[in-house]
Amino acid sequence: MTNSGGITIDGVGMQFDGRQGVTALDGIDLDISAGEFVTLVGPSGCGKSTLLRIVSGLLEPTSGRVDVSGKTPNQARRDVDFGFVFQEPALFPWLRVLGNVLLPGRVLGRRNPNKGPESAEIARELLRDVGLEGFENHYPGQISGGMQQRVALARALSYGPKILLMDEPFGALDEFTRDRLNLQLLDVCNKAGSTVLFVTHSIQEAIFLADRVVVLSPRPGSIARIADVPWPKPRALEIRYEPEFAALTGELRGLLTVEDEVESAMNQP
Amino acid sequence: MSDTRERRSIANALLRFLPSAAVFVAGLVAWELWVNVRDVPSYLYPSPSDIGGELRDEGLSLAVDDLRWTMIEAVLGFLLGSGAAMFAAVVFVHAKFLERVLFPWAIVLQTVPIVAVAPLLTIWFGFTLTPKVLIAALICFFPVLVNTTKGLRSISTQAVELMSILSASKWSIFWRVRIPSSLPYVFAGLKVASSLSVIGAIVAEFTGADRGIGFVIIQASYRLDTRLMFAGIALSSAAGVLFFNVIGALERLALRWPDARLDR
Repeated sequence: MTNSGGITIDGVGMQFDGRQGVTALDGIDLDISAGEFVTLVGPSGCGKSTLLRIVSGLLEPTSGRVDVSGKTPNQARRDVDFGFVFQEPALFPWLRVLGNVLLPGRVLGRRNPNKGPESAEIARELLRDVGLEGFENHYPGQISGGMQQRVALARALSYGPKILLMDEPFGALDEFTRDRLNLQLLDVCNKAGSTVLFVTHSIQEAIFLADRVVVLSPRPGSIARIADVPWPKPRALEIRYEPEFAALTGELRGLLTVEDEVESAMNQP
Repeated sequence: MSDTRERRSIANALLRFLPSAAVFVAGLVAWELWVNVRDVPSYLYPSPSDIGGELRDEGLSLAVDDLRWTMIEAVLGFLLGSGAAMFAAVVFVHAKFLERVLFPWAIVLQTVPIVAVAPLLTIWFGFTLTPKVLIAALICFFPVLVNTTKGLRSISTQAVELMSILSASKWSIFWRVRIPSSLPYVFAGLKVASSLSVIGAIVAEFTGADRGIGFVIIQASYRLDTRLMFAGIALSSAAGVLFFNVIGALERLALRWPDARLDR
């Protein structure tokens, strides 16, 4: 298992049959090594979320193939290699916070690598890591949106998946909460050693979190640029004020803005 | 701390019900005054105090000899009708085809006037418990079916995706997601059904019975005994309210998470 936790995306395209037959993704090539943190950034409609769903086997691509540690996405999904954090926390309101984090273990049953009393201990520790100690017995309806999303993160990590897929998980949160969660995320992922594929529409967030940023341009969704992020981890929020950070942000933003202008020019009658 | 909070919430509840209670009492007083001042014939319009007297004298024997049977019929019908409806809802959610074929017939069943069906069932089954239970079940079926179906469908796409990521079985999704998310809807349907079931039982008793509140009311009407009729009405309404509140209490026990109950 040389590439356990690695992902190879090879010429993936996705076409939705609707009336216009929309091409959501076209010729995506991307190699992600185990333990790497890769962010996908781009405007709405560039197929970011679609790509995540293809990697996790929730969607079948219309062309190309994906390899997850030597397996097809569906095999990897059956082996529960993935943790998924959605845009919405998607917690079960009838379970308390701890119950929500324990849910995957209960669903997996014998397939759960963390078994027995150990799993409850791991769940509590994860909740501590995301700063929710003391909220184990609250219902999701009794805590804030940011806290709910942290529960969702702990839930995704509770069964030790090799790969964490995150679909704009912090998009609905205020800036301060988002900053704090970004730091916690880096911390937790570093500890777990997971490979992360993280979708966002914030360029700043994309750079701050990533080892590599993948910029996607829309219609059809294709890779406009892959940028290495030089700062070593762990990172402090202050790196965002360094001139190099601003330069990189500007460069990537420029890429997306030009695309937009081209597009609006093309849409003129 | 929770003790004072509990006391405060009881005080709040009393305060909330005070206006409705006041309206009820005012209505009774106006009725009493109207009967006394206009000197209307009391065999046509008994005053509240007359009815109260009737309840005092006859209430206990009415409750034990007749209301008991009506409620047994209502509760059995409720269990049968709701149980069948929940089963049908589970089938519908898993077999779209069956839903397409059968749901129109559920609507037809709902629009059939039970007042017309009740005599038929009495002809078939005689003066037994069966026709009353069946009518009560029939009237409970539709609200529970519609609510349960809606509840079982109320799961979010992200919840389903989460379960697929965990490669959960259909059974696991059903048990861990569909059932709990349907409960608020199920209870909303059960509450409607609980009050309807008493009406169903009484209507069935009208068409042929030798005991039960419906039997008492119809017999009293032949003798122009309006006091007894009113006493029967009051008792059966009280029993309906009680049944409704029992289901409401079960709902509070089952739905403990915040904002679970739909009608709050």
